[in-house]
Amino acid sequence: MLSWSSGKIMHEITSEAVPSVDFKGIRCINNYSEICQDYSSYLCDESKLAHQGAKYLFFPTNEDELSAIFKEMNEKNVTVTLSGARTGLVGGAVPYGGAIVSLERFNKVLGLRYDTQSKEWLVRAQCGVTIRDLNNWAMKKTFPRLSESGSAETKAFLEKYKETDTTYFYPPDPTEMGAALGGTVATNASGARTYRYGATRNWVRWIRVMLASGEVLEIPRGKYFATPAGEFTIINSTGNETIVKIPKYVMPHTKNAAGIFSAPNMDLIDLFIGSEGIFGAITEIEVALQKWSNPISIIQFLPSDDKAIDFVITLRKEKSIRPELIEFYSSHALDLLRKKQTEDPKVVGMPPIPDYAKSAVFFDLQFDPEKKDNDYAKLKKIVNRCGSTLEMSWAGYEQRDLERFKNFRHVLPETVNTIIAERKKNIPELYKLGTDLAVPDYALEEIWGFYTSILERAGLEWVGFGHIGNNHIHINIIPRSLKEMKKGLLIYQKFAKKAVDLGGTISAEHGVGKIKKEFFSIMFSKKELKEMRAVKNALDPVCMLNPGNVLEIEEK
Amino acid sequence: MKIIICVKQVPEIMDITINPETGTLMREGVDSILNPFCEYAVEMGLDLKRRYSDIETVAISMGPLQAKSALMRCLEMGIGRAILLADMKFAGSDTWATAFTLAETIRTMENDFDLILVGKQAIDGDTAQVGPELSEILNIPQIMYAVGIDLIDNNKKVRVKKEIEAGNEIVEVKLPALISLSKGPMIGSVSSFQEILDARKKELRVVRASELTIDENELGLKGSFTQVVKIFPPQVKKTGMVIDGSEPQGAAKKLIEFLKQRKVV
Repeated sequence: MLSWSSGKIMHEITSEAVPSVDFKGIRCINNYSEICQDYSSYLCDESKLAHQGAKYLFFPTNEDELSAIFKEMNEKNVTVTLSGARTGLVGGAVPYGGAIVSLERFNKVLGLRYDTQSKEWLVRAQCGVTIRDLNNWAMKKTFPRLSESGSAETKAFLEKYKETDTTYFYPPDPTEMGAALGGTVATNASGARTYRYGATRNWVRWIRVMLASGEVLEIPRGKYFATPAGEFTIINSTGNETIVKIPKYVMPHTKNAAGIFSAPNMDLIDLFIGSEGIFGAITEIEVALQKWSNPISIIQFLPSDDKAIDFVITLRKEKSIRPELIEFYSSHALDLLRKKQTEDPKVVGMPPIPDYAKSAVFFDLQFDPEKKDNDYAKLKKIVNRCGSTLEMSWAGYEQRDLERFKNFRHVLPETVNTIIAERKKNIPELYKLGTDLAVPDYALEEIWGFYTSILERAGLEWVGFGHIGNNHIHINIIPRSLKEMKKGLLIYQKFAKKAVDLGGTISAEHGVGKIKKEFFSIMFSKKELKEMRAVKNALDPVCMLNPGNVLEIEEK
Repeated sequence: MKIIICVKQVPEIMDITINPETGTLMREGVDSILNPFCEYAVEMGLDLKRRYSDIETVAISMGPLQAKSALMRCLEMGIGRAILLADMKFAGSDTWATAFTLAETIRTMENDFDLILVGKQAIDGDTAQVGPELSEILNIPQIMYAVGIDLIDNNKKVRVKKEIEAGNEIVEVKLPALISLSKGPMIGSVSSFQEILDARKKELRVVRASELTIDENELGLKGSFTQVVKIFPPQVKKTGMVIDGSEPQGAAKKLIEFLKQRKVV
């Protein structure tokens, strides 16, 4: 992480007022039936959680308009649900009444610069820019509008950027590349590449946040830190001070998306990253780019799930091999895909999964296709030790191969969703039970053993897959009846408790939103939840922003 | 038995950009790949190798040195060895000069071949001429648009299922012969990591013009009957809105919203 280079460390920050604009001039749909009829997609996200209606749907185009909306809603005592690309899986953008504020028009790239101290290329963009666009621009070195409307300094940096032989990319890869940058920062999104590059937090260097008051905080990384007593002071434009006391709990030593970030002497920017929009709307972000090197995607088939776990543990220990990601398909997952291949081979898009494959581990390594003497002897040894060979693998490095392999990684959750959708036709109350638990490295074997012994005894239909490199295996229970669903829910609770007991988290990447709060009490005590609530009350005293996200809605 | 597969490297692009000044393809940032129809021919050659014993496979391509990567793809897929015809003297070859150079290479270096497989056409030029011209120059029979091949009569003949307008036709021909492939398997094969590593140890020979016994006047631009005068993309008609279909649910929602806004539904 960077440290602020041009000033002393501070504990106080001042929020700025933004120019006022006429609220009435802001585009708004203020008719619930019209919202339901013509703008229904703004009422849901990928979680498919049922909404509770909305009185207004706003489409601000800039911070001035957003501020006017916040002030007006604050005055009218109307809550605000922030809406980006609505790709979240925990209902964060699903309105529980009040107003929806869509930030989709905050879709411009604002700047590009090279930081000589950190030796990083940095891109500044508005929150509505998608991760797909950001990556395309970074890799193709063409940022729309910057070459015409950017400052002279930006234009000079852009020329320099184009001249470099190196290709750069933005490492966070939350699977859904249509996700808005702001949403990924607000949820500290992670994904397969988190194994090598960490979650979104690691790549955010600067943000602008609009608070519920309609004033803006500008927070570079490395400038504002908590006092030894764990406090920040926010001074508004009229000089009023607010003390924000950060929670005292210790965050799990795993990939984590549950709970407000807290650490001794923490950076203020980290309080907002992953806070799921309950403290403010992140409007602009500066992120760092990473050098791109050509990978080869490998799907290594193994003789059992236990051997796959063994393979991952050994691979992680071998420091000379540096995978970009390590992902997993369990034996049941491969069986489900074999079945899918017989029904619709095009969906899976791969040759028949070999009969000998009883488990699979996906990993990407750096690979130079021009090099004749690539040395993978150590990898071969590990593979052999785990009862397989490099012949028992699929591999590819051309762009079309990489895309094909990535699709293959995603086809399983899509297949599970299709099965559930089919079953819902007969039992509408049915839904998928998908875990998002992660544990520290030492506990991978133990948690896998725990999962499988309980699931096999229960006789449920299930698959295991996902980010095994971060000990973050998604278990999807696919209930065939309501009875099985109830059974599955109890099992999910058991898994969550076990993960937390092992030092892990109840939500490694999906966040908490509105639908994972039921697991919150497993991970946080009442006192700790109160500490989170205190931060919310300090930053958003009327609890206007994102009601129902992370924290329960308080009765007024 | 020896099967030769002639392949071409092509740019992997859907929307071709042409430099308006030079009239040439803008290849910046565009990956080059083995032409998909050539890949079908490779798949067919390897399928025959798997089904019948004692078959040697050789891939041949003509192009710049970068085309090595297309041949490397063939080697990774399981082809035994490869030859790349790379020389500035080959530059500017039209389909005839290309076929002529390939034919002379085969005559000079691989004359004991039994079967030549090619893709029905390349996705960049779309001419579908090199295969037929090659068979004419080598004076061997040709079967175009094949979708299935069996070896019969102790590998002395092939039985070929080929596409015709109204369906398929089964034809037989004595070897040696040339067959162009129209369709490959619905799902393409995938190499193992070991195959990818092993491919780099296989023979990939680069052949220069001086190694062939061809008059220089018959090579490249000099030996070409046709010349590309100008390349231009078809005029784009702005008739509609394109919704990104990579996320079908989102795309469907956008479409419905669009239609609703215009009171169509």
